Amino acid sequence: MPDRAGRDRPARAVRGNVLLLTVLSLVSLAPVLVLVLTAWQPPARYPSLWAEAARGNADGNVWTTILQNTTLGRAMLTSLLLALLTGLTATGIGFVAARTIARISVRARRLIAAAAFLPVIAPPLALGIGVQVFTLRLGLGGSVTGVLLSHIVPAAGYLTLFLLGALTAYDSRMEDEARSLGARPWQVLLRITLPALRGPIVQAIALGALVSWGQVALTLIVGGGIVRTLPVELLAFVRAGDDRLGAAAAILLTVPPLLAFGLVQAGARRTGVGA
Amino acid sequence: MSARRATANGAGFVAVALVAAPVLLGGIYSLLAALGVAGAGAATISASRIVRVLSDAETWRSLTWTLLTAATATSLATAAAVVVSVRLQESRAGRVLAMLPLAVPHVAAALAALLLLGQSGLLSRLAFAAGWVSEPAAFPVLVYDRTGISLIFAFAWKEFPFLALTGLVVLQTAGQSLHEVAQTLGADARAIFRRVTWPLLWRGMTPAVLAVFAYLIGQYEMAVLLAPSDPLPFPLLTYERISDPALNRRGEAHVLGLIALLLTIALVLLHERVRETLGGWMGGGAHDRAADDRGERYDA
Repeated sequence: MPDRAGRDRPARAVRGNVLLLTVLSLVSLAPVLVLVLTAWQPPARYPSLWAEAARGNADGNVWTTILQNTTLGRAMLTSLLLALLTGLTATGIGFVAARTIARISVRARRLIAAAAFLPVIAPPLALGIGVQVFTLRLGLGGSVTGVLLSHIVPAAGYLTLFLLGALTAYDSRMEDEARSLGARPWQVLLRITLPALRGPIVQAIALGALVSWGQVALTLIVGGGIVRTLPVELLAFVRAGDDRLGAAAAILLTVPPLLAFGLVQAGARRTGVGA
Repeated sequence: MSARRATANGAGFVAVALVAAPVLLGGIYSLLAALGVAGAGAATISASRIVRVLSDAETWRSLTWTLLTAATATSLATAAAVVVSVRLQESRAGRVLAMLPLAVPHVAAALAALLLLGQSGLLSRLAFAAGWVSEPAAFPVLVYDRTGISLIFAFAWKEFPFLALTGLVVLQTAGQSLHEVAQTLGADARAIFRRVTWPLLWRGMTPAVLAVFAYLIGQYEMAVLLAPSDPLPFPLLTYERISDPALNRRGEAHVLGLIALLLTIALVLLHERVRETLGGWMGGGAHDRAADDRGERYDA
């Protein structure tokens, strides 16, 4: 990438950027730091920033608190399971849907893509109260399966659009060639399509998992308060006045997306795409 | 088309239907429930639920408050995103820092705002250390307040990375060469910003800005942790109605849900219009379009 930073840029602008970077780091990091500070120690009495008896005390160790708390552990497992299954299922549906949309005429494509856009932009609560009745009818109200189905709805719409972007740039003539050489459909899929689109598919699974990971409204409405995911427990902890466990849950919620973004960034750098 | 290809297409359309159907069916169900023919307390068709919701002052207060809060937060996030994407294009550290909030789920960000801005929160404690306040009650009320300050800040914090990312992509894909041409032609930094950077940015970012606004109108979990109970934000009002012990009030939730849905669809249509008129960069033609338009509309 050509550098146009300009060696002759006035010193004032550079100073301005240093100031901007300082402000940006304060703004970006402060919320994360306050979560770590709150999770790390027992509640500190106002106006102190630190709890008096924190150090050396077993209670002062946030990991002990997290590991000893079965509610948190179970919620984490539920959330991970939902995220993984949402990512995989929504990628599957999104991939098949996007492939179909990519093959039809441009005019029809716009209409159908708009339909796929609906679940993405529908307010989660409006979506939830509409979807709830169907999960209830299926006998899945308050069950993890019901919540999973509700998470898949926005994720599949989102991933259809995401994969449509990837497929528009994808050259399917290689598939035709393989087919003309006698490859069976599953061979084409396993040997040509999936390897060629590995990057976007992995990203799609991660994105779908993230849609489910942070979901609250759909979980509450369809899960009826019975399905306890990590964000739901976070809300419960804070409502019960336990900011420390709430902050611990918030950190647990932040780490996987952070890792995912790190991986995507690293992947982008390695392949020379994007930032 | 071979039979096999047709089957594959059939499966494809089933997948497309799977994607779109839940919202369509959910919307139809909500409409029936709003008209009183489906759901709890269903009887004969009548517009009474719709009339009751639309004539309830609480609905409008809630909607106005939510729209204002979302609009203020969107403006704040957009301003921050413009500054970051213009000034920190070459700064790797700047980009990483700006992207950090993307990784923090909304509910976690809302808790952070609560712990930071609450009356006994971190800022209040720092203000105490600086000698500005002597007790929590002396610290301004920023949480659960009617002005929605903490909610606005938390919204803006969470949404600005997406807008900054959009701005950076716009400038990277379309701005590079135009910037160089302007520089070669002797434009100074201010002229480059006014005639190249800004026109590109606002065209490229408008769809994203509308998307953020639409998203914030329906945002539930941040409002639950930070918003006042009067006026109640629109998503919270909807939730309160759907879990109302009085069953016939639950139908009103569907009316509220439909209002939110219609509002979002209106914004999407506006988004499409804007994209068409601006010749959105997403279509891949940003560079050409920007070149075509050079001169005529930049000052418009």
